[in-house]
Amino acid sequence: MVGVAGECILCGKCLEVCPLLAATGREELGPRAKADLCHLLARDEAGLRGADVARLAGLCLGCDRCAAVCSQGVDVPGLVAGLRGAHPDFKGWLWKTWLSHAKTLWPVGSAMAGLVPDSLRPERFGPLLKMLAGLRDGPGLTPALAPFLTPTSFPDTHRGEPMLLFPGCTATHVRQRWLAAAHSLLHGLGVAILPGDFRCCGSGLKSAGFADEARAMALHNLAAWRGAGRPKVAVFCASCLSALRGYTHYIDDPAEAEVWRNSLILLSILAKDTVFVISGAVPDRIAYHRPCHADGAGSDHLLLVAALGDRLVESTDRQCCGFGGVMALGAPELADRVNARCWDQLAGAELVLTGCSACAARLDATAPAGVAVGHWLEVIGQMRR
Amino acid sequence: MVKEMSSWRGVELRSRRARCDGVIDTGQHRPYLSGMIGYAASLTAAHRAFLLDLFPGDGCVLSSEGLAAFSADASRERAMPWAVVRPERRDQLVELLRWAEAERMPVYPRARGTGRVGGAVPSLGGVVVSMLRMAGEPVVDADDFVAEVLPGVITADLQAACAAKGLFYPPDPASVRISTIGGNVATCAGGLRAVKYGVTRDWVLGVEAVLPGGRVLRTGGRSHKDVVGLDLTRLFVGSNGRLGLMTGITLKLIPLPETSASALVGFADLASSLAGAGAVFRAGVLPSACEFMDQGALEALRLGPEGTSMPLAPGARAALLFKLDGTGPGVAAEMDRLTAALAPLSSVSVEVGRGEAEEMVWNARRGISAAAFRLAPDKLAEDIAVPRGRVAEAVERAREIGRAHGLHVLCFGHLGDGNIHVNIMHDRSHPGESAIAHQAADEIFRLAVSLGGTISGEHGTGLTKASFADEQLGPEAVAIMRGVRRVFDPREIMNPGKGW
Repeated sequence: MVGVAGECILCGKCLEVCPLLAATGREELGPRAKADLCHLLARDEAGLRGADVARLAGLCLGCDRCAAVCSQGVDVPGLVAGLRGAHPDFKGWLWKTWLSHAKTLWPVGSAMAGLVPDSLRPERFGPLLKMLAGLRDGPGLTPALAPFLTPTSFPDTHRGEPMLLFPGCTATHVRQRWLAAAHSLLHGLGVAILPGDFRCCGSGLKSAGFADEARAMALHNLAAWRGAGRPKVAVFCASCLSALRGYTHYIDDPAEAEVWRNSLILLSILAKDTVFVISGAVPDRIAYHRPCHADGAGSDHLLLVAALGDRLVESTDRQCCGFGGVMALGAPELADRVNARCWDQLAGAELVLTGCSACAARLDATAPAGVAVGHWLEVIGQMRR
Repeated sequence: MVKEMSSWRGVELRSRRARCDGVIDTGQHRPYLSGMIGYAASLTAAHRAFLLDLFPGDGCVLSSEGLAAFSADASRERAMPWAVVRPERRDQLVELLRWAEAERMPVYPRARGTGRVGGAVPSLGGVVVSMLRMAGEPVVDADDFVAEVLPGVITADLQAACAAKGLFYPPDPASVRISTIGGNVATCAGGLRAVKYGVTRDWVLGVEAVLPGGRVLRTGGRSHKDVVGLDLTRLFVGSNGRLGLMTGITLKLIPLPETSASALVGFADLASSLAGAGAVFRAGVLPSACEFMDQGALEALRLGPEGTSMPLAPGARAALLFKLDGTGPGVAAEMDRLTAALAPLSSVSVEVGRGEAEEMVWNARRGISAAAFRLAPDKLAEDIAVPRGRVAEAVERAREIGRAHGLHVLCFGHLGDGNIHVNIMHDRSHPGESAIAHQAADEIFRLAVSLGGTISGEHGTGLTKASFADEQLGPEAVAIMRGVRRVFDPREIMNPGKGW
């Protein structure tokens, strides 16, 4: 099985953090139940059928919160991915369902329609999966809401340092504005941005059971990093960062794995101590959605707190956007319940900012009328000269 | 072990003790088994139709893979239920228990399944009642100093709702963030703060419960004092779900302490650490927590990352962890008195944590349960309690028992109320080692009782210690308890197979 370090001791610590359990009150959907099911299946107890186990265990959002708190190193999303990959009918089902969604989501002529391949090609799966959450073509927050956080001074901490920028699928294909803002920030910080040919981080593929394809993506991205001389890599999506950190499994040399892990850095950490001023039309009530894959300290949040002050009126902590990757295909009603709890927490905000492409996609697609959603990069303007 | 204990159809399940010690093996010593004849033997098509009708949608689980999630709890004991239902309203429970009594269908209340003794395991088959959807915002009344709460509410969420109004519900079992108030009341959950604030039973003012046959009983209420009649409320606390299904709980609250501070104190040996605890109490300080960790616990921690980060001298072979709470000036003054009381003793390190630093001194204690697995892959987690003056003897002798059997035994826990967590580490993949570990546990139980204590201070006896509970209680007490149970549950359908 993928990424499983230990055996579940049924302690239940993971029950605190599972958004699916919280939203549904169904204990069989919790991480402990899934780990236990896999254990029972492996030992051939209880007369369970693999297909039934895979179907139930596949109802996982892949948020990784349970894996982060497990004292035994059990990786339930990894187990789920393994079940999905081992299920003989899963890929066929996935492709059929995917295409049926594609027709409604991406009308012929849209930019995204061009990305939809005519046969199952997993390497295209990453960007399209995000779109299954309902993210539409278009510029995002702009031009309806002009960037209102303008940097006025940058720290010298990273001036002159060469770095790669990991853009991720969403910024590459549908939200080029994120990329432009990231470049602008890095320029302001004086970072020497190296050219790098990164592909999708592979997280969507991995959790969907495409282990081989995810590995191929990882090896490609690692080669790009090595080719650039193993520099720091700036990342602005929490899910991508989490997937990139997982590449250590694909690096044989422990010392190099450590270098890789240490090279990954969130853009908001690089931009710490940048001074912003608020200008133009600014919503009074702004909320921050904390992605499930966000780091403990939450540097995106800290940056927004410092820049927005009391305009930042609300933030999520335990709530998941309900993106859910491929689970959203198989059980959209469950993903919707998770999503609804997230919006309950965000109620009252006019603008929701986040730092994860999947969260941005999912929240944008489900926002109540009059509420705008974007990556925090979308509100960052050009430095005043 | 799991496989040995498994009884997927719930047809045959013997208590672990009954199998391991070979002493208690007939129904004569377990009168609760004699009544098992006559229970429903399986779920008929008519039963299924009834449950599906009463719990529509996803409210009734019948598939094997769905049921498996409800077959075990944190004890890792296992038996498969025949059905799981998820009530959302009291009237569903009234119908369910009317039917279950008529059909003599075993019924097992369950919330988060975090108990350590198999109390939620459906050992005879039957219907598991998942209470997780009996939840909602607690009613917290700052004038009456009470909370009215549904059983499926997570205890930490209840505490947060109380804290938002400056109020405090003190019981804090280790599972406080993952377990429910209904489960806490059913098991009379304890916790670190028991030394100052008592356990769950000290905070329950009233319950509403549906009884077998469909009767609804309300006991107690918002009044903090009530001496009218027998204390039926208290009977429900620690009843292990064997009297009825609780549908509402009224709790007493107090003002939220404004601050706290903690101290981690290292000692050269166990005896001096216990002398240290005595000195603190004699100085007139009543801490809100007084935890100890023995040499085995510290060794387990030092094998991992906590070992390097914990603020404890490397030479410490026992440690005490104190927490003080109250007003700012009050806590500061008490901490001064506590450190002064310890000064004459040969403590090897004292680390006081205030504010954000307070968490640091607690990380080690929180990490023990998981760190224990660094010593061996399997654990028997027992929680004997003895009179406070006998703790040193209990710990020393428990460790001796471990040594005699060639097993790691580590002791830690709630020194302030004499409740010692004894972890017997072993490797069940080694032939015979599981049986040896159980033998050690049996000896430790008898040790606790011989010292005037009890086999369980807070975990309860559930499935894994059912027969030992009877041994400790004696036939007279067991007979009376059974009689009391039968007043509520004449056909013994509620959580059967769990002793007394």
